[in-house]
Amino acid sequence: MQPLYLTLRLSSIVIIKHYQEEGQGSEVVQGVLLGLVVDDRLEITNCFPFPQHTEDDADFDEVQYQMEMMRSLRHVNIDHLHVGWYQSTYYGSFVSRALLDSQFSYQHAIEESVVLIYDPIKTAQGSLSLKAYRLTPKLMEICKEKDFTPEGLKKANIGFEHMFEEVPIVIKNSHLISVLMWELEDKSTVADKHELLNLSSSNHLEKSLQLLMDRVDDMSQDIVKYNTYSRNLSKQQQQKHQYLQRRQQENAQRQSRGEPPLPEEDITKMFKPPQPPPRMDTLLIAGQINNYCQNVKEFTSQNLGKLFMAEALQGHN
Amino acid sequence: MSRFFATGSDSESEESSSADEITPKAPGTTFKQSLLLSDDEEDTKRVVRSAKDKRFEELTNLIKTIRNAMKIRDMAKCLEEFEQLCRAFLKSKNIVDKEGVPSFYIRLLADLEDYLNQLWEDKEGKKKMNKNNAKALSTLRQKIRKYNRDYETEIAAYKENPQESADEEEEKEPEDSGSSSDSDGDGGDEGVSSKSFLKKKPEAASEASKFLKSAKGSGDESSSSDDDDDDEDWGSDTVDSGSESSDEGEGRSASLAVVFLKKTQDSDKPSEKKLGKKKKPKKKERLEEEAEEEGGEEVEGGWEKVKGGVPLVKEKPKMFAKGTEINTAVVVKKLNEILQARGKKGTDRAAQIELLHALAAIAAENNLGQGILVKIKFNIIASLYDYNPNLAAFMKPDMWKKCLDCIDELLDILFDNNNHIFIGENIAEDSENLAISDQPFRVRGCVLTLVERMDEEFTKIMQNTDPHSQEYVDNLKDEGRVCGIVDRLLAYMENKGSTEEICRIYLRRIMHTYYKFDYKAHRRSLGLQGESKSEQDQEESEGEDSAVIMDRLCKFIYAKDRTDRIRTCAILCHIYHHALHSRWYQARDLMLMSHLQDNIQHADPPVQILYNRTMVQLGICAFRQGMIKDAHNALLDIQSSGRAKELLGQGLLMRNMQERNAEQEKIEKRRQVPFHMHINLELLECVYLVSAMLLEIPYMAAHEFDARRRMISKQFHHQLRVGERQPLLGPPESMREHVVAASKAMKMGDWRTCHSFIINEKMNSKVWDLFPETQRVREMLVRKIQEESLRTYLFTYSSVYDSISMETLSEMFELEIPTVHSIISKMIINEELMASLDQPTQTVVMHRTEPTSLQNMALQLAEKLGSLVENNERVFDLKQGVYGGYFNRDQKGGYQQKQSYQRGTLNQKGGYQQKQGGYQRGGYRNQNQSNY
Repeated sequence: MQPLYLTLRLSSIVIIKHYQEEGQGSEVVQGVLLGLVVDDRLEITNCFPFPQHTEDDADFDEVQYQMEMMRSLRHVNIDHLHVGWYQSTYYGSFVSRALLDSQFSYQHAIEESVVLIYDPIKTAQGSLSLKAYRLTPKLMEICKEKDFTPEGLKKANIGFEHMFEEVPIVIKNSHLISVLMWELEDKSTVADKHELLNLSSSNHLEKSLQLLMDRVDDMSQDIVKYNTYSRNLSKQQQQKHQYLQRRQQENAQRQSRGEPPLPEEDITKMFKPPQPPPRMDTLLIAGQINNYCQNVKEFTSQNLGKLFMAEALQGHN
Repeated sequence: MSRFFATGSDSESEESSSADEITPKAPGTTFKQSLLLSDDEEDTKRVVRSAKDKRFEELTNLIKTIRNAMKIRDMAKCLEEFEQLCRAFLKSKNIVDKEGVPSFYIRLLADLEDYLNQLWEDKEGKKKMNKNNAKALSTLRQKIRKYNRDYETEIAAYKENPQESADEEEEKEPEDSGSSSDSDGDGGDEGVSSKSFLKKKPEAASEASKFLKSAKGSGDESSSSDDDDDDEDWGSDTVDSGSESSDEGEGRSASLAVVFLKKTQDSDKPSEKKLGKKKKPKKKERLEEEAEEEGGEEVEGGWEKVKGGVPLVKEKPKMFAKGTEINTAVVVKKLNEILQARGKKGTDRAAQIELLHALAAIAAENNLGQGILVKIKFNIIASLYDYNPNLAAFMKPDMWKKCLDCIDELLDILFDNNNHIFIGENIAEDSENLAISDQPFRVRGCVLTLVERMDEEFTKIMQNTDPHSQEYVDNLKDEGRVCGIVDRLLAYMENKGSTEEICRIYLRRIMHTYYKFDYKAHRRSLGLQGESKSEQDQEESEGEDSAVIMDRLCKFIYAKDRTDRIRTCAILCHIYHHALHSRWYQARDLMLMSHLQDNIQHADPPVQILYNRTMVQLGICAFRQGMIKDAHNALLDIQSSGRAKELLGQGLLMRNMQERNAEQEKIEKRRQVPFHMHINLELLECVYLVSAMLLEIPYMAAHEFDARRRMISKQFHHQLRVGERQPLLGPPESMREHVVAASKAMKMGDWRTCHSFIINEKMNSKVWDLFPETQRVREMLVRKIQEESLRTYLFTYSSVYDSISMETLSEMFELEIPTVHSIISKMIINEELMASLDQPTQTVVMHRTEPTSLQNMALQLAEKLGSLVENNERVFDLKQGVYGGYFNRDQKGGYQQKQSYQRGTLNQKGGYQQKQGGYQRGGYRNQNQSNY
């Protein structure tokens, strides 16, 4: 399948909406993307958020809400085709089972759908972080079969690198928005503009490291689990082997004595293979770790650059 | 026969029926039977009889149906009914055991068998029978054959007298024939019994003569009673026969039965009873105790009651017939008689004790010598202990008092006749020498066991008394007496006993000493310095120091004891005592030398509880001495489990209630330590928490960023967390809250607040005032808090300072400069604080080599990744192991190389660290040099 090119016509609106939602709380926010496919491009023109869940309205019907919303949007003649969803994230920690599952169901139902990941913190630091992802066809395949055993994943030959594919984004603003932006830039102070040059790094790095460490711990646990599993498996294989050999010997003896061979028993029943641990989580964790690493790398390289720049400036002065 | 039972509970019918049963039976079994018979005669309760009747009626009804079925040859019905009968008979087994197998039952069995055999022989008749019936017949025949095997003798006896059954049969036809047949039946019965008696007549006669003799011995009263008073007559008769038979065995029982029969046959039972009842109030003199005895007798079975009956007749010497020469042999015999009832079901224990007391009085009265008295005393005490059949129940106060008195008296006797009485458990019953002679008395028995038992009873009483009641205090006052007895016995044993016995009594003594704080000795030790000795002090200080006593006793046990348990207990008590009196080093050394910590888990629960108590006391002692670490270590085991209460045997935990059943609970309850020996749990917890605080807070401050920071005390952390979870922090209320608040203050290095939280009015009254040397402990605590706060402060805020003057520190923490200097030096040497001391300016210069939090994180991450890689490699290893060998060999080298590479990096890391350390130390030195 060809990669889809995305054009965000109304990116500012999307971002503004995100910000608005951000104000409500520091939780992850989600919403629906609306747009349409034009040639080989997916144009996202509008969006609306999922309402925040509260304890009070547990019987809130989300699907109903979405349908209502889309119907209303159609009434005002805005693009109302469902083309994906968006989610906010912190420090790039979005690779999770929940994301995988929902993106799978989206992509399963609407082929062209994407998930848009937006990192408000990074954006606040001065670089807009907006990324669109899709599941790779391979992963779709696996998810369809729901085969997360080690063998299944091995057969599919899928690594954490091949789970998601990033879709390039082109942002296009309407003229009105562009004008607004220009005006905003004029008004904003110098400090606001040069947030990008902030030298402090430890806070962000610490956070990232902390998250990274948690993932590594999870990974370790998973590996230990897998380890015990494979050890058990091999032990059982051995037992099975021994049993079969014994059986064979016995049968040979019986044959020599002219007795009928022992009846075949259901070996699979006798040696139930241990439950293989699902490997999908491990893959996801690996993907997440990769993500963190990329983030840290990017961040540090930028920061180093800034530091050198600052040093040079100092030396120059 | 059935008629008797149908007519209701007539005692006469009862008699005759039992007489019937007795005759065919072997004499051996009848002995008991007659015994019980007498019981019944006297006062069988109506209820019992009706129960019996009910059963028997059921049986007879069943038998009736069987007989009917027999008549119509309905075998199936017969079989069915027979099975029911068997069941019913089984159900009434209790009664049957008491009464003997009822003859009508035997009769049926015999008849049925005959009948069946007859049918069996009758081939033609069998052929005529339908299939069902034939089948039932064969089954029934087999069944009854098998069943009858158990009653062979009875059936044989019955077959000898088929005429009886014939009588019965006749009676049976007119179902309710009334009085004529009644008398008829009686006659028949009598005939039978008399017939069977005939066989044994000569013996019975001789017995009778014997009775007469003894009866004569008992004086005219009995003879007079023979004339007019049936009750008395019967009483005395049975008494004598009772004593005789118990001596001479069972053979006589049949003739006994004669006695009973004779009497019962010519006397009317109910009237007899009434008479007896009327009599009682008349005899005022014996009324008091005898009435009580009588009451007891009514419950009990067997011979004792009868014995009790004797005093009914005569007034003064209750035990013996009047005029009997009371000598040792007689008394011993009597004693044995009394003792035979011991432990038997239904024996009235209170009465027995009374009897023994009476016997002792008689023995004393007749000057039979101390030997017999000692023997009786032994038995009195033993029966006092026996008074409670239930092991869990405790003695009643009056019993307990009695017991104490008795033991005291016994000891008095033993002391008075120090050289004339030998007692021991090893003296055989027959080699006893109780009579007054030139030889010293030899008595079987063990005072030590009695005293030990008494001690246990005391513990039990204390366990079962509400510790907050006045009663407890009253009971506790007895402890003095108990101790006194133990002491006296100890003195006695030291002269006479074997080493083992001495060890045992020593242990008892130790057990009563170890947990008491010796205030006298304490005051004396203070007084030696303060030298103002009042008279009272002098008076008080006369007794030996408990420490000296403990030392002497324990050392004896260490040297002489051969059972491990006593020694273990002695060591533990000794340690406890040392710890209690703040002799920390002795206590610790003893604990370490004894190696008890290694194998205490193999000991039995009470010893383990003692061990736990000792450890706790040791910990508290260490705390008082300012050895915070030792205190913490000693208390860790007990406190970390959260079951201190249970481990110290000071109460059961509620949450375990479901896990254990009632039986276990009882056992556990028995292990509880009496309240007056309890260790204050709040004190214990407070000491533990404060020690944990003093250790943990600086440690936490030092290892703030350490990923692998281990907890010194989980419980302390738990308390901290509980404190943090509090939504609103008010001023601390409980001891725990105080410690938590203090910990928080200490975390900030604020020692004054910490101090005010730990030592204040509330805490004083709750905890600190419980120590004997309150002031000293408090001073120690303040000092410790200052020191540890200083350390914490330095750890927490060292990164803020470039340098800090020691003078400032000493002002801040109110410590002398040398102390501050030494603390900081120690920290630097232990590489806890990266700093150096600048001597001339008296400042601490910080090096700032501590990694930042980011660096720390990175280090942690590296560690984690290391373990991840390791795990991953293990997966790989496994793969290799599974899939083929040759692959392996090639790669192994590489893998090992890799490992060695890793090790190389590790070494490098180590080297780096070393270098760092070297650098620092070097720097320190360098700086010093440069400073000088």
